[in-house]
Amino acid sequence: MIATTVHDPRHDPVPAGWADFVACQHLYAPWDFELLGMEAWLSRNPPLLVVARSGKEIVGAMTALVCAPGQTRRYAPARPAGRFVPRVAQVYQPWLGGEGFVVPSRDRSVVRALERALRTRLGPGLVGMIYRNVPASLSPLVSGTGRVVRPVTPAASVLENRWGSAEEWLASLSRNRRKNVRRVDRLVAEDPSLVVRFGPGRSDVDAVALAGMLRTHRARFGRQRFDPRSPVGGAYLAAFLRRPDVHTLTYADADGHVHAFSTYLDHPVSPVLQFWATIGDRSHLYFDCHARAIRHVIATGRRELFAGRGMFTQKESLGFGARPMCVVGVPGPAVGQ
Amino acid sequence: MVINTFRTVPLYRELWALSGRTDPVVVPGRLGVHSGAIAKEEAVRRMVDLVPLAGGVAVTHSLRGLGPVLAARNTFRGRGFVAVLDKKDVLSPTDLPRGVVGCVLDQSTGVSESAWHALTTALRRNETVVAVGTDKQLVELVTALPEQLSTALDVVPRRDLTELDNGPYGLLHDSVLGYLGTLRQCGRWHLDWRRVYARQTDAGLAFTLLRQRSPVFVDVLLGPGSLGRCQRHGTPVILP
Repeated sequence: MIATTVHDPRHDPVPAGWADFVACQHLYAPWDFELLGMEAWLSRNPPLLVVARSGKEIVGAMTALVCAPGQTRRYAPARPAGRFVPRVAQVYQPWLGGEGFVVPSRDRSVVRALERALRTRLGPGLVGMIYRNVPASLSPLVSGTGRVVRPVTPAASVLENRWGSAEEWLASLSRNRRKNVRRVDRLVAEDPSLVVRFGPGRSDVDAVALAGMLRTHRARFGRQRFDPRSPVGGAYLAAFLRRPDVHTLTYADADGHVHAFSTYLDHPVSPVLQFWATIGDRSHLYFDCHARAIRHVIATGRRELFAGRGMFTQKESLGFGARPMCVVGVPGPAVGQ
Repeated sequence: MVINTFRTVPLYRELWALSGRTDPVVVPGRLGVHSGAIAKEEAVRRMVDLVPLAGGVAVTHSLRGLGPVLAARNTFRGRGFVAVLDKKDVLSPTDLPRGVVGCVLDQSTGVSESAWHALTTALRRNETVVAVGTDKQLVELVTALPEQLSTALDVVPRRDLTELDNGPYGLLHDSVLGYLGTLRQCGRWHLDWRRVYARQTDAGLAFTLLRQRSPVFVDVLLGPGSLGRCQRHGTPVILP
């Protein structure tokens, strides 16, 4: 018998056993309940956390962004407007580019129970659910009759660590890319005005400035259609960067002004290269950031490295491969069925 | 204004919501630091967070509000010239009354020939010509002008909240929020109350711009002072 509960991270206390579940399943930092609360307050479409239990043990969890019409220019109200307001639930971890649900047993009935709990909470106004960026290997869990499954392009970039040392990795690259990586290494090492720092739990960086840089960087590419995400808040990033499992790489000048940064979410198996932002045109730092992450993954013996969906051609030349993903649309009547 | 800001501007959302407020309301006995107002340095440091979700610029316009405060003390009658003595990178005034031309003169790097020509031509035509700047800048400008022209120039000193004096002329200015009020004939510093709201906190006066899009300044601490009401005009005044 599976029991489910729905938690609004803005108002509700931490679900019992949640911290243990996060630690046991090695979930990434954005699953932290306190961070989810901050994220929810600073969101146009705030996430709800749905938890499934068998007895006292948590057997599955889902974060769903509740998207209502007219929410493009304002934050979500503290309490939902009404049960008949049309809403779409997007199962999605916005700062992980996917991974909106975790069901360790891969049991479809747990996923359906999570969906039913969400439908009960949101009421008849729930017109449908969208699972964004679901790895193809997990799509059987969420597909079914009446559901629409479409591949996502571009696919996610994943680097499988099959090298014993960074030199082996470098030797596996094409001649041009190898020369380029070495040239970038030299450029960065020989630039006296550039201070590069990489480490976990960084409290020496101005998270507000980094959040601003991230927003400016993203604004250069224009707003995506149907993007449910909100701008990254300075307070959220400050709390995020102080976590021991979040590594931050900064490229600063001698005065301490950061010109580019990226975040790396540590994980025993699959670390994630998460945010990247830069001021001006410093494309060589983008390669340097990836090269450093790859070397770190090799040095620490992690199995693979996720690096998002953008710039796939460049990442492919560094040894990344494509991991197919799909988006699954679930119309209202099919939710929980 | 405050409720709309809470719903749309990241910094204020963060300040209030993450402190446990589900709405931006005053809770008796829990007024927070400086009654909930924010320091100007903090607002400037977090300029990108003052851009509302709908988007906008993260650049301050230090001459914002100049037109309305000048209109409260000068009669332009459809023609006039306003010279603001400031740095070259300051954006020109955009809210001057219809028919009034404005420009920014940077005397430290040399005034451009065209701006100087426009200023002297307006003075020769007996138009209303107003120069706004610090005392030193105004003296430099008057010295540089021919004597018969400088007497026709209406010089108005710019004051910040810590420099309020007894006049007889002056405009209340802040480098971030722009022009906030003017010294009127009654000898009191009048707030431009249609566009600016001020309230008293334990750290001084906090100002809110009522007509703004981006960046959004709400409850920003600018300095010491207190509020009163002008007995002659019946509108809010700032008491030094």
